Amino acid sequence: MAMLTYEEKYRVRGGTLVGGDLFDFWLGPFYVGFFGVTTIFFSALGTALILYGAALGGDWNVWRINIAPPDLSYGLGFAPLKEGGLWQVITICAIGAFVSWALRQVEITRKLGMGYHVPFAFGVAIFAYVSLVVIRPVLMGAWGHGFPYGILSHLDWVSNTGYQYLHFHYNPAHMLAVTFFFTTTLSLSLHGALVLSAANPPKGQAVKTAEHENTFFRDTIGWSIGTLGIHRLGLFLALSAGFWSAVCIIISGPFWTRGWPEWWGWWLNLPIWK
Amino acid sequence: MAEYQNLFTRVQVRGPVYAGVPVTGTSWTRSGKPFYIHLFGVLGDAQVGPLYLGITGVASLICGFIAFEIIGLNMWASVDWSPVQFARQLFWLALEPPPPSYGLRLPPLAQGGWWLMAGFFLTASILLWWTRVYLRARALGMGTHVAWAFAAAIWLYLVLGFIRPVLMGSWSEAVPFGIFPHLDWTAAFSLRYGNLFYNPFHMLSIVFLYGSTLLFAMHGATVLAISRFGGERELEQIIDRGTAFERGTLFWRWTMGWAATAESIHRWAWWFAVLCPLTGGIGILLTGTVVDNWYLWGEKHGIAAHYPAVWGTVTDPSLSQGAAK
Amino acid sequence: MISGVKLGLGLVGAVGATLLGIAMLSQFQAPSLEIVQRGYRGTAMQVNYNEKQLASYLAENKVPASLPQAPAAGPKAGAVYKNVQVLGDLSVGQFTRLMVSITSWVSPKQGCAYCHNTANMAEDSLYTKIVSRRMFQMTQHINADWQPHVQGTGVTCYTCHRGNPVPNNIWFNDPGPRSPSGGMISAGASTGQNLAAASTRYASLPYDPFTPFLEGDHSIRVQGDEALPGSNRHSIKEAEWTFSLMNYFGNSLGVNCTYCHNSRAFSDWSQSTPAKVTAWHGIQMTRDLNGDYLKQLANAWPVNRLGPTGDSPKLACATCHQGVYKPLYGVSMLKDFPELARPGAAGLAYLNASWTPASPMDQEKVGEQGKPSN
Repeated sequence: MAMLTYEEKYRVRGGTLVGGDLFDFWLGPFYVGFFGVTTIFFSALGTALILYGAALGGDWNVWRINIAPPDLSYGLGFAPLKEGGLWQVITICAIGAFVSWALRQVEITRKLGMGYHVPFAFGVAIFAYVSLVVIRPVLMGAWGHGFPYGILSHLDWVSNTGYQYLHFHYNPAHMLAVTFFFTTTLSLSLHGALVLSAANPPKGQAVKTAEHENTFFRDTIGWSIGTLGIHRLGLFLALSAGFWSAVCIIISGPFWTRGWPEWWGWWLNLPIWK
Repeated sequence: MAEYQNLFTRVQVRGPVYAGVPVTGTSWTRSGKPFYIHLFGVLGDAQVGPLYLGITGVASLICGFIAFEIIGLNMWASVDWSPVQFARQLFWLALEPPPPSYGLRLPPLAQGGWWLMAGFFLTASILLWWTRVYLRARALGMGTHVAWAFAAAIWLYLVLGFIRPVLMGSWSEAVPFGIFPHLDWTAAFSLRYGNLFYNPFHMLSIVFLYGSTLLFAMHGATVLAISRFGGERELEQIIDRGTAFERGTLFWRWTMGWAATAESIHRWAWWFAVLCPLTGGIGILLTGTVVDNWYLWGEKHGIAAHYPAVWGTVTDPSLSQGAAK
Repeated sequence: MISGVKLGLGLVGAVGATLLGIAMLSQFQAPSLEIVQRGYRGTAMQVNYNEKQLASYLAENKVPASLPQAPAAGPKAGAVYKNVQVLGDLSVGQFTRLMVSITSWVSPKQGCAYCHNTANMAEDSLYTKIVSRRMFQMTQHINADWQPHVQGTGVTCYTCHRGNPVPNNIWFNDPGPRSPSGGMISAGASTGQNLAAASTRYASLPYDPFTPFLEGDHSIRVQGDEALPGSNRHSIKEAEWTFSLMNYFGNSLGVNCTYCHNSRAFSDWSQSTPAKVTAWHGIQMTRDLNGDYLKQLANAWPVNRLGPTGDSPKLACATCHQGVYKPLYGVSMLKDFPELARPGAAGLAYLNASWTPASPMDQEKVGEQGKPSN
């Protein structure tokens, strides 16, 4: 099996959450574990069902494949397979696969003696997905509120869901989420660029140090967050983007049904303006 | 079970402040006596300053201040200088570009002339700041990666406010300065040009935006998770890999079969972040100049999903009853 | 000392932030929803209602009980009463029933005297009588000639008035905000947008989408029907005006964009719902009514009924709909008042031909000078 030069000493037993030593092995570069098995199960089944759904649609154009949730009239019950039931089973598979993946990350984390930051971060992404296909549909009373599985069809869903509230840009949580997405990307570019610029100086010069990195940012903006802090900031910004995205869609419908511009009435009508 | 996850700094060390890597051959010196802020120290480095101003820095700040004042005073004027209404409606107020009738001509100040002037000073400020970023990197003997990443963002800014309006022959195509008004503009832009979601470069830009967020979550989380082994010392790990990045690398190799290295993850990061405004700018530039209706463009190229009709045939009543309105 | 100030400021900040947070959160509603699907499953074409809010709308939009029908036989009102120009062919019983009904619909507090000189009911001395006569004709015109919009349901005086002498939700030309001194702000420089206006329900979009689209006939359609640039010269700013109008439509009817459109292709009729056709006729109807009826009365109204630029009050979607997708939830009052569905035979004649309107500034003299000669 292909192994990196230093890999063998890290491949130790233990750290599993479930299954003891039974699935505690590697396949090529992949760690398996109990949750590797469940990941494979859910993703294989989900993928097969997506292919089945595409076949039912009779259109193999990858942009147009659309596996839609049930009509709203089915409420929170099961729909026939060809009328949204497929979407329901695929959603179960997706959640199963995502959660398995996160738990497998926990096992790998434990094996390597690392912190739990990565599976936690992935958990926020899962939360955002679950918000879209479970939490919000349940609050609104029908699975049909989930988004359809298709490249362009999910964009059409986003568009129409936005225009259900007339002007979605006025959703305050959406504003926060977009701001966090942009800020994350800005910080990522600054961090990536700073490390590369220290590691790749002009020809013939010595590689620079973290003190150069700090000096560069103190010189330009007066403060450098430092090598450890930037990773805390990056993780915080990225998770905030996911978290507020989830909030912005959960409040749209369950907690607010009218146009988002109108929501700002609370600010305009504060008694302090009188 | 309970173990420290390194979410913030619990014990802050206070040594003498650091004046920065010595730089020779510049007429300006760093200004300000460095000091500590405890709260900053909780998240990252506590030291603030010193700051290097420089000619470009001073010029950039002046231009930025002028632009800020023009925008703010125009907003204030639009509520008849009422301080209460200025505060109350601040998010709604704007400095609007000229109306379409002026094309690319110079309008009177009150008809978008102020907008042009604010745009000029803001652009000057941004370009001067870019120069400053470039020169600082060179002065410290570093690569200019930050400046070129910044240039990608400037590209998007220039496409929105200058290049595309010029190609379209009208300043009115540009974005207003204002919190809610620029959001109105964004929505109207997509409405006018037939749904930006069908613009492939918009798709790419969003992929890179989400991709960058995903990457920073993965990278930030990985480095924090290996910080107990000194993972944040990335430059050292690039040159001489230690157990921190060995573990970090193996984490992703075992999870998804492959992993970046301490240096290459930053190349991934740089490209994802840079491609977001780069592709976004291309998408904006093509809108109106090369494509007028993105949905119809998508339909023409076979990407629009087919939905069964649920309402029977709905046709345009104006076709049977006279002119379209 | 310093720490005391710090503490005080911190306390004020904390209290302020808490109050702001409460104000913000109190804006939200508890999840209890009534949802109507408007498209193929998974397209998210649907209208969402909060049940609590819906209940209050249902309560506010109930039709009043109609008076029992009066016999059509007997002498005609036109023969018995003087100066009955529009409803003269009703029997006296039917005429009286309608007059009693309109009093309860339009001026329940003010009574007959709101329009009539009670000493001489035939006299046209009050501007309200001039206006209401024209409004009778407008109602008949709507019900007879705007079937594509009002369909079988039709409208009556009550559809707009709801017990108010002046209907809610009328509009005037809005040239922009005024300074406290009454002057125009930066005259000539107004962009017509970027303020928190009630007409847009607090979007910063253009605050008077009515004038160009529902008084004038400026093109609402901004999307082209070709993928590549060609004949479509509409600007982004025009799109903002259209968007503002469409926001108003949605708010006026208590619906959203997906009630009519699949937003992936707003302009595509084949992907729209039939409601869009009804709405299109509504736009044409509104232009017609504002032009041929309300603006025609410009000289009849006293100054205090006119807008900031001296323009007539005008109607738009919300004037009838009042936040509901079908006015009064589609309950027809017209079936009890068939006389309001008859084509207005008198037409514009009495306004156009021989009636010389008074100066709009001269409200006292409207009755004397503005008396139609028959």
